[in-house]
Parts: sequence; structure tokens; C-alpha cells
Amino acid sequence: MGNAERYAKADRDILAAMEKPGRAYLAGLAFTATLTVIGGILWIYQIRNGLGVAGYTHPVNWAIYITNFVFWVGIAHSGTLISAVLYLFRARYRTSFNRAAEAMTVFALMVAGLFPLIHLGRSWVFYYLLPYPNQRQLWVNFRSPLIWDVFAVGTYFTVSLVFFYVGMIPDFAIARRCKEGIRKRFYQVLSLGWKGTEREWRHYGMLYLFLAAFATPLVASVHSVVSWDFAMSVVPGWHTTIFAPYFVAGAIFSGTAMVITLVIPLRKAMNLHEYITDDHFESIAKIMLFTSLIVSYAYIVEFGLAWYGGNVFETGAFRYRALGDFRYLTWAMIFCNSLVPLSLFVKRLRRNTTCLLVVSLLVNVGMWLERFVIIVASLAHDYDPYVWGTYSPTYVEVGISLGSFGMFFTLYLLFVKNLPVLSITEIKEHL
Amino acid sequence: MTAFLEKKGVLAVLLAAAGALMAFVSLRPFPGNGGSLLLAFLFFIGVVEGCIAAAAAGATVNARWVGSVRKELLSVTPLLLVASFLLLLLIPFVDSYPWAGRPGIWLRKDFFIGRNLAFLLLAYVTARRFAAAPADGGGTKVRAAWYLLVFVVSQSLTAFDLVMSLEYPWVSALLGGYFFIEALYGGFAVSALLYLLLHGRPPAGNAPGTRSDLSDLSILMFGFSLMWAGLFFAQFLTIWYGNIPEEVGFIARRVSASPLRELCVAVLFLLFFIPFPALLATRAKSNPYVVSAAALSILSGILVERYVFLAPVVRFSPGALAIDFACLLVLFVAVVYKARVFR
Repeated sequence: MGNAERYAKADRDILAAMEKPGRAYLAGLAFTATLTVIGGILWIYQIRNGLGVAGYTHPVNWAIYITNFVFWVGIAHSGTLISAVLYLFRARYRTSFNRAAEAMTVFALMVAGLFPLIHLGRSWVFYYLLPYPNQRQLWVNFRSPLIWDVFAVGTYFTVSLVFFYVGMIPDFAIARRCKEGIRKRFYQVLSLGWKGTEREWRHYGMLYLFLAAFATPLVASVHSVVSWDFAMSVVPGWHTTIFAPYFVAGAIFSGTAMVITLVIPLRKAMNLHEYITDDHFESIAKIMLFTSLIVSYAYIVEFGLAWYGGNVFETGAFRYRALGDFRYLTWAMIFCNSLVPLSLFVKRLRRNTTCLLVVSLLVNVGMWLERFVIIVASLAHDYDPYVWGTYSPTYVEVGISLGSFGMFFTLYLLFVKNLPVLSITEIKEHL
Repeated sequence: MTAFLEKKGVLAVLLAAAGALMAFVSLRPFPGNGGSLLLAFLFFIGVVEGCIAAAAAGATVNARWVGSVRKELLSVTPLLLVASFLLLLLIPFVDSYPWAGRPGIWLRKDFFIGRNLAFLLLAYVTARRFAAAPADGGGTKVRAAWYLLVFVVSQSLTAFDLVMSLEYPWVSALLGGYFFIEALYGGFAVSALLYLLLHGRPPAGNAPGTRSDLSDLSILMFGFSLMWAGLFFAQFLTIWYGNIPEEVGFIARRVSASPLRELCVAVLFLLFFIPFPALLATRAKSNPYVVSAAALSILSGILVERYVFLAPVVRFSPGALAIDFACLLVLFVAVVYKARVFR
């Protein structure tokens, strides 16, 4: 087969994923959309009735909503990181995952951004978080890590969206050529008149490299800022210097797991075995294993130093984490994040997509539990025994959380039918 | 020098002589001798373990630049035995740690020395196994991964035990990670210097031993300068912001008076503000002068930083410090030179 035929086949195969959806797809979309609607209705219910419908009780006033925020920001962070870092390292297997990872980043950030608003209760006063000019010279507290979050996540969302969009421009031009009717016009607008001249490619390459180089440290800095929401306070179990790199590694870990969770069914459903191979999965599984080891190191150091330092509050917080009300969640977290990924040391399991899917799902669960345990267990058991308490979520919180998953997967399902799921031009480079 | 090193057993004699001299200096009951040995040990162990870790990290990801300096980087493996010996020389000094003499499980003198020694010896064994494997052999990556695992634990223990416990109950969970990343950073700096010493001004091109390899090493140093800055910021911002007396004292003792305050600033410059802008431009990454200046800056930064960590709580003797560093430098140069000549 000549080059021209191979390229045409790649166009056909990848764009075929955007053809008329089947029943399974529509059923999946209906299910995720229903979850989203239920989540939305529950949020409206919470706005009407106040935060009392959530399970917040003193001293646990940060719970599932903040857990979801950190979880989705974590998922979002590794998307661009996987794409950008692998681009800078010229890793060939990147082409199988980069588009899915970038889309995941944008959608996860959209979901994550809702949770601070949901957590506010009075969501309409969200603009208090923004340093807008005002007549009374009232400024936000720039020394608060929560404000750093606004800037960090806002910047990251902008850069990720641009990175995602710029990477798709040449593919939009291909879709424009291959599609008809209203879809052709849709891709015509999105492709910005791309002709594929040498000059355009040169500028595109420079911009893409610049965005990748800019996004990489940005990712690390943004998740560091998210970790400082906790580490800057003096709550036992939160105030620790390792939080920034630990959260960054955790974000890459959970994001890698989510990419695997998304791409394995995608490959099967869209019949993309030729472009997303077992070798590619093996490579990304190694990243998941590596980040699992970093996260496990952080667990050991956290627990070890709490014991080493001998501070009664710190020791008490970690003892409560391991043996208190949330002990099952803590041990489940360690099982999912530290023990299960060790199976990936076996090459055969790294190449087995069923095994990889199971591991990645467990890692997703484990990383959600990790955030929950850090946030809730630390607040429930801080300095003064008089104010110790516990927490259990209400159906409103559970419903809104499930709605967030529904929203994420709805957006993802819409993405796979409307935008090229793989980078066609980059795949052609390696054919 | 080549003929001298070619003789059988010369290296062993050199190692023994250097060890004996350092033992003689360190065991004399003058104040500051133990502190000087600790500083030399901390710098030396970081550089030696970092060199091997750089080669191991390169091997695990099939980095092309490793081929140019692999043998020289791995030639420092026997120096891990010297480091183990130095640790034994530090036994009398352990009595000056603030926790010494108190009951405890983790901070107990015999266990303290025992675990650090065990991991140094384990690092030696795993490094030897890695060095013995052929560069492109099947089991090389597995051996490299094992070494890296031991390296992380060994450097973390060095940080938590030998440095952090000097100011017990001061605690920083990041210090272990900070130390092993810094050691790796130093390892890349040594790799760049060795590369330049071996290849001089490399020719342009993509073959092994060309400017492309030097550029890859520069990119690694550049990336690690950013990572180091991130860890530095994450560690000290959290402590400063928390403002808990038993934590923030660590920073206050170092920034409230000269000359430590100036040295703290120097650390920032040597490890970030010099290498980062110097290696920012594409052309600079393959310029031997810029790369060697950046590498020397990084190694000096690590040395100054280790001094800053110890200075408020440890006394130094300039004479002992000079002898310890001279001995270690001679040994380092001898093993690398021998590996280079008999390549």
C-alpha cells in the first residue's frame, strides 16, 4: 500500500468514528445525560433550600463537593500533562492518547469548576472570588490559597482549551474535506481556513511546541496550588510540605487511569486497534505504575513522619485515618492506589487490556477515596476533642456527585461523535 | 598518571590510604571534625548516588546520551563502599544529635547507623549489578529500576536521619524527595561535565557523542532546575506560611543573620537563577562553555545548600573539611579517570 492510500485509509478509519451513532452509544448518552439532569435538579434543590440539605456538620464543612473538585482537577491536570510532556519527549505512543487526554482535561475542568460554586451554597455570589474593580475598594484576600486557585485553574483552563483546539486545526481541515452539509460548514469554521502550506505548518509547529512547553510547568504549579488549599492551613493531616509534589503525582496517576478507562472502550467501540496498539497501552501503564510508586512513597512518608515527629495532634490525625471512622476507606485507598498497581510490574498484565481496565477503574476509585480521606478525616479529628465529629453524605451530595460523572461522560460521548478522536495528522507522521 | 593507575591494586591502595587519612582526621577529638565529615559525606553521597541514578534513569527510558558517559558514571560505584566507611566514622558524632541518649525506636543510635549502612551497601550491590549488565541487555532496565528504588530510599534516609533529625523535632515530609531529586540533578550536572571532558567540543549531528547528546543533557538540567525550584518553593512556602514556631525556626535560623542569609540567596541563584536562564536558549544548550558553567553552578549550589542545612547546628573545622574534600575528590577523579583511560 502506498503512502497516499495509507493516509486516505487513516482519514477514513478515524473519521468513521464520527459517523451515525449506534444504539449502544445512544443508550450510553441517554444514561449519562439523565445522571447530569438529576445532578442539576438536586443542585437547584440545594440552592432553593440552602446548604442544610448537604451533610455538612461542624467540624466537617469541607466534604464531598471539595473532594469532587480536587478529584476532577486532578483528572484534568494529567490530560494536558500526558499530551504535552509526551510531545516534548517525542514519545510516539502519545498519538494514541493525546486527543482523548486533552478532551478529558477540558471537560474535567468544566466539571471541577462547578464544585466551588456548588459548595458556596449561594452560588450567585461567586464573583466575590474575583478581583474585580469596585467602588468600595474591596479586594479579595490575595493571601488566600483559594484565590490562588481561581487564578491557577482559570489560567490552566484557558491554556488547555487553546492547546486542545490548536492541536485539532489540521484535523478539522481533513474533516472539512471529508464531510458534507452542515457538518462541513461546522468544520470549515473551526479549521480557520487551514490550507496546510509549509508556512502554516511551521507556525503551527512553533505554537504547539510553545504551548506544550508552557503547559508542562503550569500543570505542576496549578496542582501545587490546589494542594496548598490544604497544606497552608495548620490542620493536622493537611499541613505538610510534601503535599504539592504528592498532589501533582496523584493527579498524573488518576489522570492516566482515567485516560486508560476512556481509551480502552473507545478502541473497541470505534475499531481503532490498528492505531491504538497493546504496545501503546503498555507504555502508558508504565506511567501509571511509576506514579503509583510516587504516591505510595508519599503515603509512607506522611504516616512515617507523623509517628517520627511525635506531635500528638499529627499522630492522632493519622491514627484516626488508619483506625477511626474512615478506616475502611483509608485501607481501600491504599489497596487501590498502592497494591493493585503493583500488578503492572508483570509485562503480561500491562498488555492485557481487560486487566488494565480493571486496574484503572480501581485507581479512579482509590484516588477519589484518597481525596475524601484527606479532606474529611482531617477535619473530623483536629485539635480539640470537644469538637471532634464525623460526616456522612446526604442523597443530595451523592446525586450531585453522580451528576458530575454524568456530565463528564456526556461531554466525552458528544466529543467522540463530533471531533476527531485521534490526531490524524500525527498518526500519518508515524505511518 | 595512566601508568600509575594501570598497576594492579593501585586503586584499592588509594582507597585505603584516603580512608585511613580521613579516619585519622575525623577520629581526633577536635571540635568540628565530625561536622566536617558529615558535610563531606552529604555532598559526596549525593553526587555519587546521583551519578549512578542518572545512568539508571537514562537506561530505563532508553536515553541516547547515556551511551556517551555510561561507563564513567558507573565507575563511581566502588565509592559507595567508601561512603559506607565514612558513615561508620560518623558513629561518635551521632552522640551530638539532640535525640541521642533518649529512649526511642526509630531514633536509636545502633538502628540509626544500621539502617543507613544497610541501604548504602544495598545501593552498592544494586549499582554493581546494574553496572555489570550490558548497556543494551534484556535485564538492564530491571536492574536500573532496582537501583533507582534503593537510591530513593537511601537518599530519603540520608535526608530524614542525618539532616532532619539534627533539629529534632523539626519535620519536613518533603526533605527526602528534595534530596533525591537534588542528587539526580547533581548527577546530570556531573554527566554533562564528564561528557565535555570526554568529547571536548562535540561535533554537530545526531550520532552518539555529538552536540545532540549534550543538548539532551542540557534539557535535563534545565528541566530539573525548574523542578528543584518547585520543590524548594513548595517546601519553604508551606513552612513560612504555616508559621508554626517549631517549623518556622528552621528558616528563621538561616535567614536572620549573615553570612547564612547571603548563602541562602546564593543557593537560589546557583541552583535556579543561573542554570535556568543560562540554558533557556536552544543554542546555549549545546554550547560547552554555557553547559559547563551551569553544571558547575549546580554542583556548587548543592554543596552550599548542604552547608546551610548543617551550619546553624554543627561546628566545622576548616582543616578537616579541606582534607576530607581533597581525599574524596582525588578518589572520584581516580576512578573516573581509570574508567575513561581503560574504556
